Amino acid sequence: MKGFLTGLTAFLVALVLAHLLVVNALPGKIMSKVRGRMAEAGLPVHHWQMSGRVSPQNQAVVRPAPDLAYAICLIDLSKGPVELDVPAWDQYGSLSVFSARTDNVYAGSLDARVAGTPDVRRLVVALEKQDVSTAGDAEVVRVKQPEALALIRRLAPTQEAYDAAAALVPESRCKPL
Amino acid sequence: MKLVPLLIGGILGIGAGVASALFTTGMIGSGVRLSGGVDVNGWQSDWTIGSAAANPWTRARIARHGLLALTKEEAVYFTKATDDEGKPLSEGCIYRVSGGDMPALWWSVTLYNAESYLPSNDDKALSYDMTKAEAAGSPDAWSFTISPTAPAEGGWVSSKAAGAFDLTLRLYKPSADLIADPEATLPAPAIARVSCGG
Repeated sequence: MKGFLTGLTAFLVALVLAHLLVVNALPGKIMSKVRGRMAEAGLPVHHWQMSGRVSPQNQAVVRPAPDLAYAICLIDLSKGPVELDVPAWDQYGSLSVFSARTDNVYAGSLDARVAGTPDVRRLVVALEKQDVSTAGDAEVVRVKQPEALALIRRLAPTQEAYDAAAALVPESRCKPL
Repeated sequence: MKLVPLLIGGILGIGAGVASALFTTGMIGSGVRLSGGVDVNGWQSDWTIGSAAANPWTRARIARHGLLALTKEEAVYFTKATDDEGKPLSEGCIYRVSGGDMPALWWSVTLYNAESYLPSNDDKALSYDMTKAEAAGSPDAWSFTISPTAPAEGGWVSSKAAGAFDLTLRLYKPSADLIADPEATLPAPAIARVSCGG
């Protein structure tokens, strides 16, 4: 009986610990795997890269929206903050930043029709204690881990709209502050 | 000798813990929703998606099935895997999806297979969105067909090679009313099964 109770106690403790460890580790592992795949595909850090038009043959992540054009920048804050500059346009668009554990820590409109949208959205991404005194009038978003990911979404249901979205990538910046 | 039951219990517990974590977070299957759930006529969402306040199970489930999803102030996502009679959506059936004006700046309905990817067909009919409804002249009363082959007329989303699928309704820049009370505000699209087989 004592042996059974010992085993049962060990089972329950191990179950709870293993369950919680795995659940909490999964988002970071998934994000890290996606970053790794992008890096293997040649995407450098601190560089806006337009994704190809979403199709069944071109799906970098689950549930991509085929009506949107995406541009991605892999961010590494280990050497300092990173500045993002992204122009607005006259259709739906957004700039978002995701932490290493997949939280959407920032989202800003790029739709010039929406009140308060600047012509160029400026954002600085930094770790919690990094110096951002040179950020000027840019918004600042703080994250806890060096790896982050920035994403531009623009409405592009047609090839023409996709090409217009792609033309804005050279005007966008993702670079060390 | 308590070491043996300790080791056996520990090893079995680790296995059970890992398996339960994979099932509850949707690494295997669709996962479970523990909080923040929204259900509007079977269109399901989670208001904590993307948020740092999401519980660990929601965060992991969204990482698997909806990585890079935005928080609700920017976009909301509803998913439905059954028709209006509660039967699972399937490539073997034809459906008519209909709806009206949506409380958002832009919306779309997209079809995904059971692995959460676009189905492997080259029909170039992956989604229906507000721009198509406006082009059809009826943004307040739109409809489209879901079928493995194109209908004679009207909007179409292809279910060819989709198998068992679901639909994701995206609403970008949702209205404040939708965020505050989705059950009362969202005019949930209808999914009527027209026929199956043949």
